[in-house]
Amino acid sequence: MSSGESYQRLSSFAARRVQVIAILLVIAFSILVVRLWYLQVLQGERYRIKSENNRLRTVYIAPPRGKILDRHGEVLVTNRPAFNVELVPEDSKSPKETARLVAEITDQPVEEVLARMNDVTRRRRFEPRVLLSDVSRDIIARVAARRFELPGVVINVEPARDYLNRDFAAHVLGYIRQVSAEQLKSPEFARYRPGDMVGQFGIEARYENLLQGERGVASVIVDAAGNRLGESKFQEEQSGSDVTLTLDARTQRAADKALEGRAGAIVALDVHSGEVLALSSAPRFDPNDFAHDISPTRWAKLTGETRPLTNRVLQGAYPPGSVFKMIVAAAALSEGIIGTEERINCPGFLPFGGRNFGCHKKSGHGLVNLNDSLIQSCDVYYYTVGNRLDIDRIHDYATRFGLGMTSGLGLSEESKGVVPSRAWKERYFKAPEQKRWFPGETLSVAIGQGAVTATPMQMARAMAALVNGGFLVRPHLVRKVTSRSGVVLEDHDPEKAVREPIGVDAKVLKIVMDALIGVVSDQRGTGHRARLSKDFDVMVGGKTGTSQVVSAEFFRAGTKTDDHAWFVGFAPAEKPEIVVAALAEHAGHGGAAAAPLVREVMEAYFADRRIAPSPTDGSAKNPVKPNVTPQSVNEEPEDVD
Amino acid sequence: MLIDRRALRNFDWVLLSLAGIIPLVGLIVLFSAGYEPDSKPIVSLFGIAVQSQAFVKQSLFFLLGFVALFVVTLLPPKVLLSFAYPLYGVCVVLLLVVDVMGLTIKGSQRWISLGFGFNLQPSELMKLGLILGLARYFARNQPKGKVLSLSELIGPASLLLFPMALIAAQPDLGSALALGGIGAGMILFVGVRPRILITLFVLFCASLPVAWNQLHPYQQRRVLTLLNPEGDPRGSGYHITQSIIAVGSGELTGKGYMRGTQTQLEFLPEHTTDFVFCVLAEEWGFFGTMTVVLLYGALIYRLLNIVLKARDHFSMMIAVGVAATFSVCAIINIGMVIGLLPVVGIPLPLLSYGGSAALTMMSALGLALGVSVKRRVYK
Repeated sequence: MSSGESYQRLSSFAARRVQVIAILLVIAFSILVVRLWYLQVLQGERYRIKSENNRLRTVYIAPPRGKILDRHGEVLVTNRPAFNVELVPEDSKSPKETARLVAEITDQPVEEVLARMNDVTRRRRFEPRVLLSDVSRDIIARVAARRFELPGVVINVEPARDYLNRDFAAHVLGYIRQVSAEQLKSPEFARYRPGDMVGQFGIEARYENLLQGERGVASVIVDAAGNRLGESKFQEEQSGSDVTLTLDARTQRAADKALEGRAGAIVALDVHSGEVLALSSAPRFDPNDFAHDISPTRWAKLTGETRPLTNRVLQGAYPPGSVFKMIVAAAALSEGIIGTEERINCPGFLPFGGRNFGCHKKSGHGLVNLNDSLIQSCDVYYYTVGNRLDIDRIHDYATRFGLGMTSGLGLSEESKGVVPSRAWKERYFKAPEQKRWFPGETLSVAIGQGAVTATPMQMARAMAALVNGGFLVRPHLVRKVTSRSGVVLEDHDPEKAVREPIGVDAKVLKIVMDALIGVVSDQRGTGHRARLSKDFDVMVGGKTGTSQVVSAEFFRAGTKTDDHAWFVGFAPAEKPEIVVAALAEHAGHGGAAAAPLVREVMEAYFADRRIAPSPTDGSAKNPVKPNVTPQSVNEEPEDVD
Repeated sequence: MLIDRRALRNFDWVLLSLAGIIPLVGLIVLFSAGYEPDSKPIVSLFGIAVQSQAFVKQSLFFLLGFVALFVVTLLPPKVLLSFAYPLYGVCVVLLLVVDVMGLTIKGSQRWISLGFGFNLQPSELMKLGLILGLARYFARNQPKGKVLSLSELIGPASLLLFPMALIAAQPDLGSALALGGIGAGMILFVGVRPRILITLFVLFCASLPVAWNQLHPYQQRRVLTLLNPEGDPRGSGYHITQSIIAVGSGELTGKGYMRGTQTQLEFLPEHTTDFVFCVLAEEWGFFGTMTVVLLYGALIYRLLNIVLKARDHFSMMIAVGVAATFSVCAIINIGMVIGLLPVVGIPLPLLSYGGSAALTMMSALGLALGVSVKRRVYK
């Protein structure tokens, strides 16, 4: 249609070309046919045998997970080889019988072993089912000895996570566990396959992407019984990156030990950078337990009443008790509500609004100035000052010190605690008559009781701001992340740490800080049990606190539950480096129960700076403990606050 | 458009039958290749639970493909002529889009997501665009002498090389080569001066070392593997080794339907797409492969027949392009699977799993059928 050329011409043009094409195509197809004849007919039998013996299997190799180290490079979490007894159903004539025999040989419950044959993550006949995971060498030996009765049974080595110090810093390190079905549905976990181990808690979860590494792909040659003859890799597995924490292993160990046998929390921060030096929550758990199936009884224990999985440093919000007075003192001085020398008389109670607000010392402290008020933790002084400040100004200062907000550590869900104010009460309560703020409530809040609550992390942060010249630090746990090839992927230089000024005059902070040194060093001080042993030339400052517990248990049992004990300390007093906050649940008074915990942690932290090594070498390793017992130090009745 | 009795008489019923039979064979193979023993049945056909998603999807695509085939067959040549360049242009734009924002699957950007789990592969559509584009070009630009001179070659060569480069950049060497084969077939059909061909051949040989370095390492490995597959049977040679074992182990009569161990035990990757021929060879043996080779032979024979009967240059070049498409893709794919050519990702037309390819190939057959119908309608 494009031209008037004749059909004849076009057709003869085409005919010549088509002829050539046809010849070429016949040649090409002939080659294909000859090759197929060769492969399928002449060599067919050879290839059939090859396919029958085709034991080349594609397997995925779990990458070694990155290590977790403390600030000095001490390895906290690594990997170790774990031996699994596995069964390839395809290689066994009757897999169930073989599995049963394995169970009998190794004295394992037959039902459990048989149940593992139905592994949802490994469905194909040539994929091995893990019958027994991470077994002892003894069991391996028993299986190996009877391998000829166990066709299809193989012993496989896989990297297993090894938390070297058992429950050491469990809440920081976290644990890994098989990726859950719900996780696999979310796009975040797109690259995971069922059965992969994933960080589920703590640093393991937070740094999952960097710790994980890349899985390798290999083809494995196995013989007819399923034994590995060799393997070759398509793709090397890539180790995960190593995470170096800010934790100081020695300090952490002391914190863990101090909380042994109780419920509570200890956190130690670098006052300038906010680096977390120790973070301990008790009761703890052993992350090693999570690698395998957890028995229902053990799971009940982990989720039971003592809640070992709760990170009390971040998730436990307690009334701060008298520790809160340091903030009220700073607020009162800043606002010019009270002078350092003004004295307030404490007869043991303050009549207010038709009732008596009692001081913890029934006989009264007499005339008390600001310094005395903190050293002796006089309640009447703070009722008076708090009333003058009024709740909204207290709220303002508490917020400046980081209360009522999360710390930004990002390790787990964090409780914000409560810093009450008129606006808060208006929001919080529904009934109109409950929305009104009563002046008496201000008095309770001023001594850290009532509605005000804070986490140990918040109190440590507040203390750091008080003693570092007025900067709110952002606590963090990771110093750097290094890939296996040595490339630094994340570097958190403590010099460049995030700090926000709280807007309180440094002179004011110094006055309060000096008083807090007195809390520990003064003979009348409530916190003298935080003093380090004579081996240390390090002075400690701090504040005790006791938070009243009015729990359901109290009403139910008809007995008074012990109060929570607080101590938040810093050291060295003249040039603070470290703050340590300790909370012991239901342990009684802060000065008696919590201050010694802080002392233990500080002594570990300052161990290098001990001035007087003990006379004998034998006791040099542990010179602090034996003689200077807290009981011997004080008989004073004022050991309360 | 008139459908009169002459048109019906001229209609290539054999080609239409082949367009039905080959996909049917493909679906039968796919039912086995895509079989997932542990998955839930997707639908139940005549009491048979279908446990292959590929099978269900592909069945739908071939139904759609038949609709496309008839629509294209009925398009008047005038419409085709005026739509040739715009379609070519749209295809090129889609290729640009996929290079910029396409889905990355297995390391290459080849797809545009259409939602509902369907992805468009523009490099497949480009085959149609190229056939029509080149046919349109040659309809107006006949060589002055008997064959194309160098200056006359520039136009068609550009039409071919530009989309080829875009596809190669994805990177999808297989589709780029397939497109090159189709284009080269059409250009050579028109004819090129022998001198130019010899020069190009020399240049090609001289540039090989440079081109070699431009290839991705995995592509280099594939070529080396072809030269010496035993060199690393479990590394880069894995695919081809497994593929040859699958084909060979089928022997004369095959292992039986759904009983191919290479496939069902998943030794053979990609067995629903580029390596579907292996499944056929393993389960149906030499008889099976010969049947398919004969079906392709018949298909190409009918297409060449249509070339001979075309009444104008445009129609003839369309038929040439369609014949080139099926010849090039079938020969390269089978050659690759049986270890005669390097492993490049080219699907087996009408047999491999792939929606875009199914629709494109059915439409291409529609173009050829259209030529067969219209050859005496217009005088």
